[in-house]
Amino acid sequence: MNVRGFCGSILVLCGIASLGCNAPGKPTAGAEAVRPDEVKNFSKLYSQNCAGCHGADGQHGAALALANPVYQAIVDEGTLRNVIVNGEPGTLMPAFAQSAGGMLTDDQVNALVSGMRSRWYHADAVQGLDVPPFKTDKQGDAAHGQQVFTSHCASCHTTGVQQQNAKASSITDGSYLALISDQSLRAIIIAGRPDIGHPDWRSAQPGHPMSDQDVTDVVAWMASQRQKTPGQPYPSQP
Amino acid sequence: MSEEKPLTRRWLLLAVGAAFNGIVGVALAVPVVGYLLSPIRKKSAYSQWISLGSLSQFPEGQTRLADFVNPFKKPQDGETAKTPCWVRRLSADKFQVFAINCAHLGCPVRWFPQSELFMCPCHGGVYYANGDRASGPPERGLFTYDYKLVSGELHINAGQMPTLADQAKLVTIDGKGKSPCLG
Amino acid sequence: MSRIKRLYNWFEMRLQLEGPVKDAALHPVPRNTASWWYVFGSAATTLLMLQIVTGILLGLVYVASGSEAWKTLDELNHQLYLGWFLRAMHGWGSNFMVAVVLVHMAQVFTFGAYKFPRELTWILGVFMLLMTLGMAFTGQVLRFDQDAYWGLGIGASIMSRVPVIGGALVDLLLGGPIIGGATLSRFFALHVFVIPGTLLLFTAVHIWMVLKLGINDWPMPGRVVRRNTYLQEYHELSHKDGVPFVPDALWKDLFFSAAILAAVAVCAFVFGPYGPGGQPDPTIIQTAPKPDFFFLWLYAVLSYLPPSLETPFVLIAPVIGICILLALPLVAGEGEKSWHRRPVAILVLVTVAVSWGIFTHLATFTPWSPIMDAWSGDPVPPKLIHDASPLVRQGAVVFQAKQCRNCHAVGGSGGMRGPALDTVAVRLTEDQLIRQVLQGGGNMPAYGKNLSPPEVTALVRFLETLKPDGQPPAIDATHQEQKAQNAAPQQ
Repeated sequence: MNVRGFCGSILVLCGIASLGCNAPGKPTAGAEAVRPDEVKNFSKLYSQNCAGCHGADGQHGAALALANPVYQAIVDEGTLRNVIVNGEPGTLMPAFAQSAGGMLTDDQVNALVSGMRSRWYHADAVQGLDVPPFKTDKQGDAAHGQQVFTSHCASCHTTGVQQQNAKASSITDGSYLALISDQSLRAIIIAGRPDIGHPDWRSAQPGHPMSDQDVTDVVAWMASQRQKTPGQPYPSQP
Repeated sequence: MSEEKPLTRRWLLLAVGAAFNGIVGVALAVPVVGYLLSPIRKKSAYSQWISLGSLSQFPEGQTRLADFVNPFKKPQDGETAKTPCWVRRLSADKFQVFAINCAHLGCPVRWFPQSELFMCPCHGGVYYANGDRASGPPERGLFTYDYKLVSGELHINAGQMPTLADQAKLVTIDGKGKSPCLG
Repeated sequence: MSRIKRLYNWFEMRLQLEGPVKDAALHPVPRNTASWWYVFGSAATTLLMLQIVTGILLGLVYVASGSEAWKTLDELNHQLYLGWFLRAMHGWGSNFMVAVVLVHMAQVFTFGAYKFPRELTWILGVFMLLMTLGMAFTGQVLRFDQDAYWGLGIGASIMSRVPVIGGALVDLLLGGPIIGGATLSRFFALHVFVIPGTLLLFTAVHIWMVLKLGINDWPMPGRVVRRNTYLQEYHELSHKDGVPFVPDALWKDLFFSAAILAAVAVCAFVFGPYGPGGQPDPTIIQTAPKPDFFFLWLYAVLSYLPPSLETPFVLIAPVIGICILLALPLVAGEGEKSWHRRPVAILVLVTVAVSWGIFTHLATFTPWSPIMDAWSGDPVPPKLIHDASPLVRQGAVVFQAKQCRNCHAVGGSGGMRGPALDTVAVRLTEDQLIRQVLQGGGNMPAYGKNLSPPEVTALVRFLETLKPDGQPPAIDATHQEQKAQNAAPQQ
């Protein structure tokens, strides 16, 4: 009963031999799973490790937009690499390098950094513009910062220690400030979030770009609003 | 039928021949049973102190992945001789070394420092930072290895894949070295 | 012509096979057994032959060593002419064989063919089913990749649950203290020598009995099997109204066997070989092991059992199941064969088949497994972010960064271990959300120690935005009542 069967299979085999290597099932070179620590492809690395918070294409994410050309213009590669390797203290950005308890090798971090730079860094993004530097050592003046806030930010952002419902947009909410570092606040104020309509340093108040000092002062004022025990007590039943 | 047959000399010889075969067969087969059962050893025969390397790779307050080569490695083991484990350093000389294997069905658990949980990809077993069962199907916490500190290196007593059959051994700790924190 | 005839006679005089073969081929079978329903047994035999042939061809290259096996599979896939296709044929052949064996068994059960005098044929068949499944499992191990490695870990963990001798069984299964070269060698011996040898022997006896006892007559309602009359009835049926097995019944077998082989070849051609997946390196922990198709149902059952029931179930249920199958023809050896008169049997069969299908379906997308990369890889749906307040957006970051996403889906992506949270604000009030996050419960770990108060606050604020447009948020009725009571005295 098997003779006919084998004839059939031989026919099929002949068919395959004549079709050559066009078989859809034939494994392509490198089809086997690459060791996870040898993945160097930026898109794959980014979509596995970064897209969750920073958005699918470096924008529209919950955290800072990496595809923002202004952000890429003010941050340097060393800083990007350091943040990926060690995380950003004072924020929820975790360390991703194996040396700091994460899962990525140094090569993979480099692949991420160079991939971001080649995709999202445009040398002319802020050319000729007086953009405040990414980092500063200056001391801020909180009182002046509040004035800058009123003139540049208050049209959208409200203030208040503990926001009462989800819709209100208080920028000095204790819990919010507890989850973001001064450096991250500075980065957002300068670079904005073009993907969700948050202006950058020059367009918060049209015609009056914020100076380095303005930014530093606003950050200082916001930092002065931080609470000792944010988020507490939880609202409880009466 | 056989009752009708008289016990002739030839039938007797046949019976003796069969019995002779049986005796030789048993004499040969019994030692072979020993050969088949030879992988079964006492736990102590399958564990040995091995170094995980310098203490400096394990920052205090963190849990890090380490791996070691099985002390009973054979050439044909290849990559499978390597075994990973999670090392949690509580203080300068206080550690917890967790087996990679989930206590449910042995899948590799992964540590998430952000939420301070171990999660298992197979059936969703979750453990807290100290190895206690948090949720999911496991009956117990993660398996731990005994450890000791030898001249700036972390040594663990390992060599066998931990399974639920080791429970007895894990509960009775033989006072040697520092007692592991019970998971 | 005469020379061929002479050659034939030369062999026939020495082999003397003509008589028995003619007897077997021309023996009369009841006319109604020449049916398309009776082709699965021969198809299973054909597939067994296919597996032996492809297995030998693969064995010419495969090296059963922990350090080499994966590399030889890689070589078969990429460097040897048709190597990939033979691997694919062997892999798909095994799938088809398990499937055809199960269908064959269901058909025999439905037709009552296990009843007198074919009890032993069925009992042998049960062992052959177990051996087929054993071949499938050991075959998966020989594909020595990550799934094989961790699959062995699962096997060892199940073994270790046996009371008293669990540890010894694990040592025996693994051939040493760890999953390694020794483990692969013993599974190779099982897959290549022990099980196929026994299976072939059993197949021969199984077929022998089919020839000797005759093919089961088509069940008719009311034609009851009785031990003292059946043989006579069957003899009349096959001799008065019978047809010779060859060619009246066999041509259907041949057609079906060829069709099955062609189907295997098409599947192999189109879908290609199984794996191998990643290298069997245990230090690669970014892996989500999964068994092959025919053990998916077991994988699902193991995840749904409550912990307290798991060990008893895993150890006792298979034994009971096998005992029931073995005892079936002895207990129900007489009586009605027709499915029209055996409603319980048919219900049992349908129930088993449906449960098997559901568990297998569930295991194809493993809703119980956390998705380990979801927290860092699945973006928060932009519409949840776009108009959110800074705190809510920060809450979304908490949701991702604390791995909530690994178990909870939002916007259709993320883990399914916990409930999807797209409408959570409709179901839970703020208090309930906070309590659930802090204390866990219902299979969720407690996050009280792992989240700071601002993180919880931000997270809950984010969760409160997760509701469909136009639906009111959940309210705490007692809370409202309390407020009303507090307000009342003041008025």
